[in-house]
Amino acid sequence: MLDKEKIKKKLHINAMKKIAKSEDIESFKLIYDYFGPRLKSFLISSGSEETSAEEIIQETMAIIWTKADYYNPKLASPSTWIYTIARNKKIDFLRKTRKAVFENIDTAILPPVEPVLDESIDHNQSFNLIDSYLNSLPEEQMLLLKMNFIEEKSHGEIAKITGISLGTVKSRIRLAMEKIRMRIKSEGISFDLNNKNKSKNFK
Amino acid sequence: MIELMTQPSTTPAHLLFLQCFAASSKEGKTQDFIRNEITGHLLDVIEPMNLTKEAWQKTLDRISLSKNIDEDHVSDPFLTNLPSVLQKFISKKKLNWKKFSDVKVSTISSSSDSDKLELIYVKPGGTIPQHTHEGKENFLVLHGSYSDEYGSYMEGTMQTRDESHDHKPIGNPITGCIGLAYTNGKIKFSGKFSKVLNFFNY
Repeated sequence: MLDKEKIKKKLHINAMKKIAKSEDIESFKLIYDYFGPRLKSFLISSGSEETSAEEIIQETMAIIWTKADYYNPKLASPSTWIYTIARNKKIDFLRKTRKAVFENIDTAILPPVEPVLDESIDHNQSFNLIDSYLNSLPEEQMLLLKMNFIEEKSHGEIAKITGISLGTVKSRIRLAMEKIRMRIKSEGISFDLNNKNKSKNFK
Repeated sequence: MIELMTQPSTTPAHLLFLQCFAASSKEGKTQDFIRNEITGHLLDVIEPMNLTKEAWQKTLDRISLSKNIDEDHVSDPFLTNLPSVLQKFISKKKLNWKKFSDVKVSTISSSSDSDKLELIYVKPGGTIPQHTHEGKENFLVLHGSYSDEYGSYMEGTMQTRDESHDHKPIGNPITGCIGLAYTNGKIKFSGKFSKVLNFFNY
């Protein structure tokens, strides 16, 4: 990973800490200025309209502000954490506008869901691995990943737009994910996400 | 013993169950993790789009309000814990919940009585009345855990129940339990109020 990016990431992690500790509005503005326009780009390219995109961003920012203490740099990079919130907010928004009746479930009595990752492992290492791998990808493969994950297009849609055959689209996306997994494995980082949840019934 | 039901012709309900099962496995969770990391990384390199001028002020207004809101959807297991394939599926449709005393049930997809996918919520410490199954049921624990006469089952595990089981599942006292049930037959209540319950059987 480029040093510049490492510095940027550190800056964001520090900002998150300051928001959590002292409700530091300057740090919040820094996060907002950096992620707001990026989230807008993500939301619009995945099909949201401008007004709803901005509403989702405000909701996301409110979560960052109130739940910054939930953020753990060992479990996710700031951009991944923020993206996950935005994606959930987007689904939430879709649900509301389609009047799905989830409100019937009394979510207030459900406890917060904690990440199941093993905290004793420093996942930061793996984020750096993923970053450096993605930075080395050829532009075309990066574009496919972007269409799939950011624009949330199906493999079939991507094949149609790019003119690349469906099989090739599938295999290139799979290959990128596979390579990341191999790298993580070869570094000996455990991804036993479920290790606390093993059941005797599940053999 | 778990036995994953396979049918010669896989129905949409069954297919969705299998996808959720795959997504809940360790392998599936690793996939999700990698996906999220890739997307997080892409967010760093994406071309930013300017926000409207009033957006910052609106955000400030929003956070001054949020101090009074305790519950937020970031802790909503329906969003954070359901397999993404299921999240996507249910974001597009209206779900109707049937409420029983400790339990809420919503049919996600069904083509007949012998092909049904249901989302089941048992409140913390709540019980499902004693029952047995006329056909087979695959039950996947999506959130929390539950226990019955045969054992205790954590998130990410799947159980098979059929007419040889007669049980009274109890939701975890703290987390409750959310699960996905694929059935190819009705459940049959066998306890005290079974006559009434079977009459209202869903």
